[in-house]
Amino acid sequence: MIAALVLAWRQLVHHKVKLCVALAGVAVAVMLMLVQLGIRQGAMDTSVAFTRRITADAVVVSPRTRTIFSAASFPRRLLHRLRADERIEQVQEISIAQARWRNPWNYFEHPISIYGIPIDEPLVELPGYDDHRDDLRPRDRAIFDARSRATYGPVVETLAREGAVEVEVNRRRIRVIGSVPVGVSITTDGNLYMTPENFLRLLPGRPAGAIDLGLVKVRPGADVAAVCHDLQPYLGAEATIMSSAALVAAETAFMRETAPVDFIFGMGAAVGFFIGFVVVYQILYTEVANQLPKFATLKAIGFGNGFLLAVVLGQAMILSLLGYVPGFVLAIWLYDVATAAIEMPFFMTAERAVMVAGATVLMCALSAIMAVRKVQSADPADVF
Amino acid sequence: MDAGTGTMSDAVIQAANLNFSFGSGELRRQILHDVSLVVQPGEIVILTGPSGSGKTTLLTLIGGLRQVVDGELFVLGRPLHRATPRDLVACRRDIGFIFQQHNLLDFLTARQNVELVFQLHPDVPAPVAADRSRAILKQVGLGARLDSLPSQLSGGQKQRVAVARALAAGPRLILADEPTAALDSQSGRDVVTLLQDLARSRGCPVLMVTHDSRVLDIADRIVHMEDGRIMADGVCDAARPAG
Repeated sequence: MIAALVLAWRQLVHHKVKLCVALAGVAVAVMLMLVQLGIRQGAMDTSVAFTRRITADAVVVSPRTRTIFSAASFPRRLLHRLRADERIEQVQEISIAQARWRNPWNYFEHPISIYGIPIDEPLVELPGYDDHRDDLRPRDRAIFDARSRATYGPVVETLAREGAVEVEVNRRRIRVIGSVPVGVSITTDGNLYMTPENFLRLLPGRPAGAIDLGLVKVRPGADVAAVCHDLQPYLGAEATIMSSAALVAAETAFMRETAPVDFIFGMGAAVGFFIGFVVVYQILYTEVANQLPKFATLKAIGFGNGFLLAVVLGQAMILSLLGYVPGFVLAIWLYDVATAAIEMPFFMTAERAVMVAGATVLMCALSAIMAVRKVQSADPADVF
Repeated sequence: MDAGTGTMSDAVIQAANLNFSFGSGELRRQILHDVSLVVQPGEIVILTGPSGSGKTTLLTLIGGLRQVVDGELFVLGRPLHRATPRDLVACRRDIGFIFQQHNLLDFLTARQNVELVFQLHPDVPAPVAADRSRAILKQVGLGARLDSLPSQLSGGQKQRVAVARALAAGPRLILADEPTAALDSQSGRDVVTLLQDLARSRGCPVLMVTHDSRVLDIADRIVHMEDGRIMADGVCDAARPAG
């Protein structure tokens, strides 16, 4: 086996240019797979990032709600029933909607997500939101997401310089009095946080008795699953209570099913795999074809198909490992470029690195198996 | 024919009534007709005859590269007419092959090409294999070219590496197919003389197919084939002016 690897290595390094082409092919395939899967993961992660920030143990939504970003509403009175259970410590409601932000610098309008979140002990983790508690209470005050896209104007810079920015949202004058860094996703370009009262002022047509999302915190020690199970009958068919983890899972599934994120980036990764497969196959096949009389000679003098298979497979393994390294480095660099360009964070995860390494080995092994069929057809009697 | 001079157990090659054909149905063409041949230990036998006389086919049968379908063939005591493909591969490991083309792996040096053969003999430790490879390359006069790639060697030198490869692992039989065909007369002569010396010193029998009348003198026996039949078998004095 070691002898086959040594032979594989010597055959590979004999043609330096061919080796470089093969390694470039593998590196590009690795890079494509890592980048496409990374963007897919990034798109999924950022889309459920807000849902993950919910610190409540359970949530109440309408059964017709598919995503909390365009939720169906349910009557607020249902939420009051939950407080009767002694295991419940706190019940809160938050609202999410879309509004139109008018960029005060160039007067272009752009949609922005607005959130109505209680300012006293919010069951959502928004670092710095509490600090602005008293400033947020007056009418028409809001806090801007510092990681919103640039299309909303130089809000953060102006805040740092002047302390506040007056803007127009849904044709209402809003005073932005601070910023918190949260992050955008493929479905939203910017976020604006405010009290539920100010939220309703921005959406005057909205019925005050209807809410989108209820948050439930249970007392320490209580079993969330049991609470959800016991309280569901009080909500009837008009609302559903589920654990926050279940909501994250539902949001993820919604993204998968409705946004073509999985398909587009999964396809991109598959194309990378295919490119790598074709390049490695071409290189291995021409090498085998060139050496065919020699391989037939080796068979004539007593080498088995297994040894020659091991030589070609060995080449595939060497190519996959040597090509993976530059592909990985390239992908890390492109993550940074993409993070800057799309203003969404992309990270390398150990899981993805290992998965793509496995895919690379598989890709090269498949190419080798295709190429090696030629070796098996080499008839040792033909060398005479 | 002197098929009776040895018993089956000491003859290196014992072929009896071999028939062989290619194709089937109307395209069937018989290549060997009722061929019987015996090679004794230490003998150097040359197989001559015009193109298409079946010499090479006979050589591939003896070398275990084709399956015997009709007749009996014992090589190194193994019954090849009853052999499975696995048996044939095992048999080939005891044979040193020299081909018309050197067929050296062009990405390995002369020494690496010879050492590769020892992969088939895992009982030989790597340092021993390295020593023996170096020694045999010195014997064929390439002691100074151990680390040259085939592309850096002349045709005659490459064929000498091929001879070294065939002999390195101590084969019990050498089969050579037109080893001088691709060489000029002097290089061809050198290669064949070398082969003769090495085979003689080791007592290793050689069966060589050749058209080349200039090298017939190294043979103990010359077997002449025509149209798939052995026409003559014996010492050809005309070809051995010195002997």
